[in-house]
Amino acid sequence: MAPPLDGTDELATVLAAARSGDLAAFEILMRRHERLVLVTALRLLGKMEDAQDASQEVFLRLYRNLGKVQASQNMAGWLYRVTVNVCHDVRRRRPEETSVEDAAELVAMGDNPQQAATRKERRRVLEMSLRLLSEKERAALVLRDLEGLSTGEVAGILGTSQATVRSQIFKARIKMKDFVERYFRRRT
Amino acid sequence: MNCKDWEERIALGASGDLGSAETAEVVRHLAECGGCRRFAEGIRESLELLRSAHEEPIDAGHYTAVRAAVLAQLAQPPRHSWRRWLWGAALAAGLAGATLFLATLFVARPPAEQPRGNLAEVRPPVVEPRLTEPVRQPPQRRTVRPAPVRIWKTIGPPPLVEPIVVKLVTDDPDIVIYWIADRKGAEE
Repeated sequence: MAPPLDGTDELATVLAAARSGDLAAFEILMRRHERLVLVTALRLLGKMEDAQDASQEVFLRLYRNLGKVQASQNMAGWLYRVTVNVCHDVRRRRPEETSVEDAAELVAMGDNPQQAATRKERRRVLEMSLRLLSEKERAALVLRDLEGLSTGEVAGILGTSQATVRSQIFKARIKMKDFVERYFRRRT
Repeated sequence: MNCKDWEERIALGASGDLGSAETAEVVRHLAECGGCRRFAEGIRESLELLRSAHEEPIDAGHYTAVRAAVLAQLAQPPRHSWRRWLWGAALAAGLAGATLFLATLFVARPPAEQPRGNLAEVRPPVVEPRLTEPVRQPPQRRTVRPAPVRIWKTIGPPPLVEPIVVKLVTDDPDIVIYWIADRKGAEE
């Protein structure tokens, strides 16, 4: 998550400057939240190119809505919500190029069990297992388990109930576990 | 409750999504059930793997590219382009057209029917009003069939000084004939 800048005098000052058209101040805001936006978008979309496009759109929306984002508000929550919405739009426009079947194929094609614990492979496992989830399950799991938000915060961002989020997280965790176990069984 | 029923609780309990009472029940069950312990271990390990992959830093160049693209877009002068002008012109033309159309409709509309007030419809046999002087017929534009003729006659006690108004409605809605008769010459 973004460092706890929200609600401080520093944020108010930077926000005020950005609202007045100071692009340097806006860049500070972007730097502060860029990991949150880009990594969340990457997990939701699965492709860096799409994630970058989505991130640009999120920050442009932030700039247009600076007047509405109050210093006392949770800017991170606002950005998560907008990121999820923008990624939803991007997914609708560009359906995933690699299907779940293709992802399973990639697993079977792996040829070096010794590198199973490498960084690159873990990232691959993460990307492929996320593809197995429905869009809503993916969003719930990314926000709850990867970004570390509470179930209540996730429900607020996704505009749903905590019970629904819990159900989505439960299903997503089971799918992830099954995929990870299957992946490493095949590799060893 | 069989072990399948415990899966949801175990999966949710892996990240503290259960209340204390439910957590205690899960812990008790895990102490007794080897299969569920393996299931819980699988959930925990897959979550750890995915979180560690998620936390790996992304190449800083990706962030830089997003920031640069956003700032470049914001630095561009606002586009008062011909497109906006064209939209405005099209909107104005549309409004003018709609106004003209409504005005044409209003002019072409037949004159509104006279308010009836306390008039009641009297069906034939036709009451032949005895007029003291001939009523001048308005110039007729087309042949009007005289029958059936509906005669509108005032009812109730009209003021003594007012003449009686007899309204003849023809089949042609554009032609309405009024007789104004002096009370002295009219039937009650």
